Amino acid sequence: MSVSLLVLLPSGSAAGTGPSIDATSLKRMVQERALAEERLWHVLMHYRAKGSGYESLVDDPDYFFAPRGKIDPAAELAASVEAMLAPPDQGDEHFICRYPARSEWLVESLDVDPQILSRPDCVKRDEALAKVDPQSAVLVFPAAHNNGPASMFGHTLLRIGSSYQSELLSHAINYAAFSTDTNGLIYAFKGLFGLYDGYFTVLPYYEKLNEYSSLEHRDVWEYRLNLEPEEVRRLVLHSWEMQGIASDYFFFDENCSFLLLYLLEAARPELNLTQPYYDRFSFWVIPSDTIVSVKEAGLVEEVKYRPSLATRIEHKASLLDESARRKSHAIAVAGASPRELAENYSLQEQRQILDLSAEYLRYRFSRKEIEEDRYKKRYLPVLAARSALGTEDEMVEVPRPVPPELGHAPGRWALGAGARDSRYFLEFNWRAAYHDLLDPDEGFTQGAQINFISLKARYFPERNNLRLENLHLVDIFSLAPRDLFFSPISWKVRGGLERKPFTDGEDLLYVGINTGGGMAWNLGPDALLYLMADADLNLSDRFRDKVSLGAGPTLGCLLQLTSDWKAHLHGGALFYGFEEHEHYRAVLEQNYRLSREGGVTLKAGWERAFDQSKAEIMLSLNRYF
Amino acid sequence: MRKLGVALCAAVLMTSVSTLALAAPYGTAGCGLGSVLFKDEPGGVQIFAATTNATFGNQTFGITTGTLNCGDPIWVTGSAETKQFVAHNMDALAADIAAGQGETLDAFAELMEVPVDQRAAFAETLQKNFDQVFTSDQVVMAEVIDNTALLTR
Repeated sequence: MSVSLLVLLPSGSAAGTGPSIDATSLKRMVQERALAEERLWHVLMHYRAKGSGYESLVDDPDYFFAPRGKIDPAAELAASVEAMLAPPDQGDEHFICRYPARSEWLVESLDVDPQILSRPDCVKRDEALAKVDPQSAVLVFPAAHNNGPASMFGHTLLRIGSSYQSELLSHAINYAAFSTDTNGLIYAFKGLFGLYDGYFTVLPYYEKLNEYSSLEHRDVWEYRLNLEPEEVRRLVLHSWEMQGIASDYFFFDENCSFLLLYLLEAARPELNLTQPYYDRFSFWVIPSDTIVSVKEAGLVEEVKYRPSLATRIEHKASLLDESARRKSHAIAVAGASPRELAENYSLQEQRQILDLSAEYLRYRFSRKEIEEDRYKKRYLPVLAARSALGTEDEMVEVPRPVPPELGHAPGRWALGAGARDSRYFLEFNWRAAYHDLLDPDEGFTQGAQINFISLKARYFPERNNLRLENLHLVDIFSLAPRDLFFSPISWKVRGGLERKPFTDGEDLLYVGINTGGGMAWNLGPDALLYLMADADLNLSDRFRDKVSLGAGPTLGCLLQLTSDWKAHLHGGALFYGFEEHEHYRAVLEQNYRLSREGGVTLKAGWERAFDQSKAEIMLSLNRYF
Repeated sequence: MRKLGVALCAAVLMTSVSTLALAAPYGTAGCGLGSVLFKDEPGGVQIFAATTNATFGNQTFGITTGTLNCGDPIWVTGSAETKQFVAHNMDALAADIAAGQGETLDAFAELMEVPVDQRAAFAETLQKNFDQVFTSDQVVMAEVIDNTALLTR
């Protein structure tokens, strides 16, 4: 720490070791060169056009040196020049240490000789930079957990490659909402309305990987970006600037994925990644969508797949026959001895059995399905037995599924025609996002339906009447098959406006919330059978008690008939208390993919309520957007 | 077991001709989450991952000692990074060593500064001597590093 003898001049200039720099002349230069309009300045400050002026996305006053900095790029720039010239005795708190990307850009744009600037001791900054050692950048996409609502759309973060050969030894930059709420509903509500602060954090990549791969069982996709070391360095400097700076975190738009686009723009200012999101009609940013943006910008060099622990276990189990699978399971779960395999299995099978037992033990331990004590007592002996069997020629590679950015686009609209109860109609339906059980699974998690804001309207020409059929705010249907190694619960929840026949046989609109839980099983590679217990809440003025509450079973089967053709056959019954009645239904839906952009849906259904039966059939064309 | 290991290490240390620096004192927080990296950073608080409901990082796996009494390797001057890595990845590392290969093992070899052309031998030695690296289910990070150094130097 250099102790400098400083005389503060009225102009606010400071001397480091050489001649002083005069703030006034620098500010004049800023104006002459119109630096306040520079792209990189707007990127680093997260400004975007608003009305006739600008506004920064950053909500933390600490980020700005000018009182009106959030909305005035020029004033903020002038104040930043002042801050840059402050005496160096603030150490790590000095502008140059705290906002290194900003100050480097200023120094460069103003042709200032860095030697005559104040030179604070940036201990923390330099230590962090040395640790992270930025050389390359990778966009990381942990896909959705196949049965976890919280991870719905996946997540994105950045991995900063270092001089280490091993990727595990690099660092991750993560943007996340800071929350201590454990209640999912509160979490969702606050998240939707921006009540959480979002923060950037930088941490070892293996920690993030452990979190996704072992704790949450989410597959991870990595997209290597073609950024130069210098660009990556600027990206890391900007993330340093954002350390501890809060922005209101909105799950749908100002989220993990969106903020990372800013970091990429900071790396390479000529990229235009964020503006299209402001320009387009929709107000949400879906992580897989940002991968498409980054890919379209020509940034992606290579794609890598990292299967989660659960995916690896599934794959390894599929390589063994039934008896070996059971043996492996018994070693992990029942504590069967790992040492007496030789009599019944080949050397390769023995290795596979023990590898699988070990991974399964770790899986169960991460889910707290086995006590630590018991886990320790079993895990090491399994590995010790495995270590005596030598090394496989090749590591087991899990076959790579279709990457998420090659899946269908999340939005969907459809036009169709059909008949209900012998009346013809035209139908329009629209969905904001994301994926339906009938949509092609490529790039998505199988059996995980998440529809978010969808509506269906019909026009009946003979009565010249246009009516809303339904409006769902959310419609989640999570089917997770059970087998020897995994026993997840499948579940669903749907809420919004629905229409069904009421007492007088007329189809009426009501508010409905439907939820259920149950089990699913694979009947082979292309068929999934499920059984659920449903609860159904209806609210309508037409009910005597304004409310009707029902329960009953649902049975369904989802079939992948060919690579392009899917069918979903399902039926069920609901028995209502309050306003007693029953409702039975049976539906066969089929979807045929014509291309990545769309397909054809044929739907036939029958329902019976208040002793009235109605059947309908409909054919529609869908398009993804 | 632990004492025996320490005694053994100490004996080897004393008879060793190579001059080995003793490990530098390690942060008081042991080798828990974030004790080494950016420990004073604002915002480095426990963060809920944006799209999940799980706090990050601090899970203790079975044979990881977690955040306390990791001890320090006495035989090898393990960098803070190496200690943190082993403490956090003990279970995966054990599995890789047993299998004789894997990404966690590769990273470990790199941290232990094993030259590229010697990594296959390094992996093989550890696999063959698995019981001497992971001496018991109570083994701690420092011992794993020490045992590795003993076997492969």
